[in-house]
Amino acid sequence: MPLLPRLPLQAADSFEDPRLLRLANGVEVVSLCQEQAPLVCLDFWCQAGSAGECPGEEGVAHFLEHMVFKGSERLEAGEFDRRIESLGGSSNAATGFDDVHYHVLVPAQAVPEALELLLDLVLKPRLDPADFRMERQVVLEELAQSEDQPEEVAFQRLLALACPQHPYGRPILGTRAALKAQTPDGMAYFHSGAYRPRRCSLAVAGATDQLPIDSLLANSALAGLEPLDSARPAGPALELSPGVHELKLPRLEAARLLMAWQLPAADDQEAVAGADLLTSLLAEGRRSRLVQRLREELRLVESIDLDLNVLEAGSLALLEAVCAPEQVAAVEEQIAVVWQEICCSPPPESELERARRLVANGYRFGLESASSVAGLIGHQCLWGRLQPLRQPLELLQRWSVERLSSELLPLLAPERACRLLALPA
Amino acid sequence: MSRSTPLPPLPQPERFELPGGCPVSVLHRQGPAILSARLWIRGGSAADPPGQRGRAQLLAGLLSRGCGELSGDQLADLVEGLGDELRCEASEDALVISLKCASDDAPALLPLLGVMVQRPWLDPDQISLERQLNLQTLGRLREDPFQQAHDQLRSHLFGQGPYGHDPLGVEAELAGLDRPQLLDAAAVLGGQGAALVLVGRPPAGLEALLQPPDSPAWSSRSASLLNGQGAQNEPGLLLEEQDTEQLVLMLGTATVPLADPRSLALRLLQCHLGVGMSSRLFVALREDHGLAYDVGVHAPARCGAAPFVFHLSSSAERAAEATTELLAEWQRLLDQPLSAEELALAIAKFRGASAAGRQTCGQIADRQAMVLGHGLGWSYADEALERAGSLDPDSLHVVARQLLSRPSLSLCGPSEALRAAGTVWGAHPLSRPSGVQALS
Repeated sequence: MPLLPRLPLQAADSFEDPRLLRLANGVEVVSLCQEQAPLVCLDFWCQAGSAGECPGEEGVAHFLEHMVFKGSERLEAGEFDRRIESLGGSSNAATGFDDVHYHVLVPAQAVPEALELLLDLVLKPRLDPADFRMERQVVLEELAQSEDQPEEVAFQRLLALACPQHPYGRPILGTRAALKAQTPDGMAYFHSGAYRPRRCSLAVAGATDQLPIDSLLANSALAGLEPLDSARPAGPALELSPGVHELKLPRLEAARLLMAWQLPAADDQEAVAGADLLTSLLAEGRRSRLVQRLREELRLVESIDLDLNVLEAGSLALLEAVCAPEQVAAVEEQIAVVWQEICCSPPPESELERARRLVANGYRFGLESASSVAGLIGHQCLWGRLQPLRQPLELLQRWSVERLSSELLPLLAPERACRLLALPA
Repeated sequence: MSRSTPLPPLPQPERFELPGGCPVSVLHRQGPAILSARLWIRGGSAADPPGQRGRAQLLAGLLSRGCGELSGDQLADLVEGLGDELRCEASEDALVISLKCASDDAPALLPLLGVMVQRPWLDPDQISLERQLNLQTLGRLREDPFQQAHDQLRSHLFGQGPYGHDPLGVEAELAGLDRPQLLDAAAVLGGQGAALVLVGRPPAGLEALLQPPDSPAWSSRSASLLNGQGAQNEPGLLLEEQDTEQLVLMLGTATVPLADPRSLALRLLQCHLGVGMSSRLFVALREDHGLAYDVGVHAPARCGAAPFVFHLSSSAERAAEATTELLAEWQRLLDQPLSAEELALAIAKFRGASAAGRQTCGQIADRQAMVLGHGLGWSYADEALERAGSLDPDSLHVVARQLLSRPSLSLCGPSEALRAAGTVWGAHPLSRPSGVQALS
C-alpha cells in the first residue's frame, strides 16, 4: 500500500495535520487525531449529489442515500443501524447538490467493525424492489413535509428562478413524477457510475491514536473498488439569471424578500474566503451593516440573513429578510442603499478585522468535534483540496478592504441578484 | 446484544463560589484554545407571572442590549469585534447566558456575565425593539404545522400552568410588557438558584475576572431540588385545521421532572422508541409502513412535569392508518415490557448519546449547567449511566404504566384528515377519560 508522507504542515491550535493515505485504486483516505475527542467519526464522501443526475433521474441521488440504509448483499434491512447503535454509535447521511456523505460516530474500539459495516452498506447496497417501493413512500413523505413549510417552498422557487438551466435550480428531493418513475435498476446504474475511485473519499477523525487505519483500509471494500476507465464529465457551468419575481403563498405569516447572487466557485478558495468575509461584514451579528441598518436602526425586519453556499459550479449568496408585507419595498430599497454606501465609502479596516475574527473563530469552533472535522477534511479530500488546517485562516489575511471592494463587492450588486418576493396569499 | 463501551466519567471540575453565592465549576479541556461558559439562572418562562407571559424571554433578550457602562451597540462591538458569541435566552426553566470565545478573549468578556445580570439598562427604546421582534417571531411560528400541533398540545397538558406557553410568550400579554415588569424580573435574577460552568481553556485569575474587586457581589445561590408538581393528565383530542399536504400528529402526556427517579426509565424508553434509526417508532412507522419521514419522541429535561410526546407527520390521505399505528405503539408500551435485547440496545444508545453529547466544550457546559441548575450533582449523568445498567424491563414497564397511561392527541392538517384521525382516536381505549381502561 503506497503511503504518502505526512504533510509537512502546521495545524491550527493543538491539532495535528491531516494525514493522507492513497489506496492503490486511487481512493484517498484522510485522517486526523483529536486527543480530546471521546469518539471517532468515519465519514464517507462521494461526488454523487443531485447535480450529477441525468434527465429522468431527478431525486435519485437523495433516494439512493435513503436506500443505502436498507441493507447490502450481506446486511439485512435495519441490521446496520442495530449493530452500529448497539456499539454505542450513531449514523446519518446527507445529500447536497454536488456530493453526498454518510457518517458514523462510534467509540474508538468499535471502529474496525463500524468501518466494515459502513463500507459494505455504501458500496454494495442491495436495492431490493420491495424496500425500494416502501422507501419511495418515505421520500414522498419527506417531500410533502418540506412542501408544508412555506419558507422552504419560497427558497425552492428562488433557486428555480435563479438557476433555470442548471441542476442547482432543481430540488434535491426530486419531483413526485420523477420519483414514481424510478426503478431499482436505474438506481443501481446511477450508483455504479458514481461510487467509484477518484469520486469517493473517506475521512477518519477523533480518538484515532490507537487505530491501525492503514491496515484496516488495506483489506477493506474501499480498496477493492474498481476504477472506471472514463473520467467524470464536467458539470454544466452556472450562470445565474437576475430578475425580479413575486409569489403568493398560503399560510405565510410574514413576507420574505429572498435574493440570490452568484459568487466564485468552491475551487477558488481564496475568493471563497473573501466572500466569507464580505457576507460576514454585511450580515453577521448585530453590528453588521445590514442587521444594524434594517433591524436595529430602521426596525424594518424581524431578521435578515446572508448565507454563503459554497458550490462546485459557482457559489451562491442567499439573502433572506423577514418583514411585514407593507415593509418590503423599504427593505429592498435599504439593501440597495447599504450596498451603495459600501461601494462609495469603503469600510474601515476595523470593520474588516471584525469580519475576519468572526469567520476565523467560527472556523476554530468548528474544529472541536470529530464529526465536524471529518466533514471538513473529507469534503476537502473529495474535491482534491486537502489543505493544512491553518490554511483557511491564512487566506483570510490576503483580503484587504480595497481588494474586497474591487473584486467581490461588485458581484453583490442588487441588479445582479435574482429577487423573489414571497407574500402571504 | 449490545457491546457498547462504557463511557469514561466526566472529570471533576474545579469548584469555587462567587462572593454572592453563585457556584462556579471549571473543567479544563484539551483541544482548540477556546472557552465555553454557561450561566444557568433558574426562573425561565415557567416563572412568568399571570398576565406577563413572555417576560423572561424579553428580559433575556435585553440583557445584551446595554448593561453596566456599555450600551447595546458598545457591547456588540466588543463581543463581535473579537469574533466571539454572547447570547442570552430563556427556556421554560431558566435564563441561560452563553459565551463562546477564543481563550485569549476570555479576560475581556467574562466580567460581562456579572454585569449583565446585575446592571442591565432596560432602556425603553431597546425594550420596544426587542418586544417587537418577539411579537414578530411569535406570528411567524404559526407558519409551521408542527409548531401549531405542539402549541395546542402544550396548552392542553399544562393549561395556565408554568409550561402552558411558549417562552416567547402570549401575544396580548407580551404586547403589554414594559420596563416596570422587567425591572421586577431583573431584581430577582438568581434568587431561585444559579450555576456557572466553564469548559475549555480558561484564563488565569478566573475568580477576579468573574468578580472584579470593585463590583458588588451578585446575590445568588446553588439551585435546590424541586419536588416537581404532579401532572394532571386527562386524555383530549386537539384539532387545528390547516390546508397542508400532511397531517401532523403529536401524542403525548406530562410526566415527571428530571430529578424524579423515574425520569431515567423514561429516558431509556425514549432511547428505545425514538433515538437512532433502529428505534421502535422509526422502524415500525417509517421502515415497515412508510408512513412518515420524520418520527420521534420529544422528551426534554425539565424542573417540573416534563412532556413525553410521540410526533410524526404523514400524508393527509393516510391519516387513519398513521393514527392507528401511532396509537398502537403507545398502547404497546403499556401492554408489554421491552425485551431484554431491546433494553440492552436502549442502554447502548443512552451511552452513545451521552458520549456524543461530550464532543465540544459548549455541549458539556450546556449539559452540566442544566444538571446543576436542576439541583442535581455534577456526576448526575455518569451516575444515571451506571443506574441504567441495573434497570430491568419490568421496572421500565411499571413506570410506563404509571406515567404514560393517559396521553392526549394533537392534530394539525386538512379537515378530512382531522376527521379520519379523530374517528380512530374516538374508538381507541386511550381516548377514554380514565386511563385505566387503556391498561389491558
